[in-house]
Amino acid sequence: MTAGPLAGRTAVVTGAGQGVGEGIAKALASAGANVVIAARRAETGEPVAEVIRERGHVAECVVTDVTDEHSVTACVAATLDRFGALEIMVHNAFRGSANHRLEDVDLKLWSNYSGTAVWGSYFCARAAFPHLRAAGRSGRLVLVTSPSGVEGSVNMPVYSPVKAAQRAMAKSLAREWGEHGITVNCIAPVAETPALMGAFALNPVLKERLTARTPLGRVGDPEHDIGSVVAFLASDAAGYVTGQTVVCDGGSFTGL
Amino acid sequence: MVLTGRVAVVTGGGSALADGLAAGLRAAGASVGVVDGRRLRSRDDAEAAFAEISTGAGAPIDALIHAFVDPAAMVPGPFADVDPSAFEAAWEGTMQAALFALQAAFGQMRGRGGRILVVTPTSSMSGEPGLVAATMAIEGLRLLAKSAARQWGADGITVNCLAPAPEVAFGDAVAGAAVSLAPPALGRPGDPEVDLGPVAAWLVGPDSGFVTGVTVCADGGTWMAP
Repeated sequence: MTAGPLAGRTAVVTGAGQGVGEGIAKALASAGANVVIAARRAETGEPVAEVIRERGHVAECVVTDVTDEHSVTACVAATLDRFGALEIMVHNAFRGSANHRLEDVDLKLWSNYSGTAVWGSYFCARAAFPHLRAAGRSGRLVLVTSPSGVEGSVNMPVYSPVKAAQRAMAKSLAREWGEHGITVNCIAPVAETPALMGAFALNPVLKERLTARTPLGRVGDPEHDIGSVVAFLASDAAGYVTGQTVVCDGGSFTGL
Repeated sequence: MVLTGRVAVVTGGGSALADGLAAGLRAAGASVGVVDGRRLRSRDDAEAAFAEISTGAGAPIDALIHAFVDPAAMVPGPFADVDPSAFEAAWEGTMQAALFALQAAFGQMRGRGGRILVVTPTSSMSGEPGLVAATMAIEGLRLLAKSAARQWGADGITVNCLAPAPEVAFGDAVAGAAVSLAPPALGRPGDPEVDLGPVAAWLVGPDSGFVTGVTVCADGGTWMAP
């Protein structure tokens, strides 16, 4: 067992094969947690688990599709088999699509956004609940949302409502599960992910505008700027924080 | 009267909230057509329902007041007990109806402007135990409105939200205790026609043209954030 504030606890991180999810997984493992890398593809998930193990921490990859209830419950079952408990569920996986006009949105595009963000949150919360409850005051659900879930989006109008739904879920579930000592929170990150780097490559002006709006003048590092915040929320130190959204974006968005 | 000569559609007909808002808009002079939520199950259905109203009124619609939350979302219970079909009805039923309603309204407003008002009870901002899926859908509606406001502003269309007290929308399903420790400053949660109607009329009328993407709480002074 590794030392640290999360020593002896087990976390599942969805979408941990890259980007923010990878950073969260690394940070939780560094804080002592056993980490399940729930990735849609083993080709991305396994190397992340391997890097964490090379650091002397504990990680396993479990191939998981968050839009499929059976896949999520199987992931939780595999976690229980391997580590005996589940204290920390982090739902980060997300798959969207290119910019769109609201008047052009059809059910295929809508379902693409709704599936990973909203249905994924529902499946993860539901599958984890009995185990988070059994964890007593250590139970944690963390959902990765976005500043766009608060301020709206001019380029991806469907992105905002699905991210907003996660914030409302955290608030309502925090009220519902508080009696079990479970906390439910969101983070809203801006980080150097493959998705954002791709957007910068297509539109260099975007990077300038974003960093100009950001007091700290840089885009966050998935592990050290974002994952560290999730490690805090997962720890005993944050046991009295619930229903909240922590915006981790260098101070760009100040609307909460 | 502030809405004389204007054609408005109110969705969610059959609920006390939607019917009260419709009465309030008529009192403000609007020609109002009410659409049942069951007519918002596809884009084609929504467009047909809205076309009936504009044909009947002899003019395209100027305002949409979307006040539909799928009844499945209104059933209180522990979230862990909400099965996938119930979650689908609550979340997808509410969000898809809103998407189709807004798209149908846009089809009539494009190039000439208009007003869209989405009714979003304050529960989604406070959180509400036992109504998790409902609050997810309501906050989804609120952000759908904000994004629509950002995209359709160039067409002269404003999109705002009107937030009533939880008990006005959910009735007995909710106590509203999550919103504030304090009672409503004005002493009552509000009547849809008398208290909310005039606020809705302003938000879909000629004098609110520079207001878009906002949420106006008309709950008698309970939820006061920000």
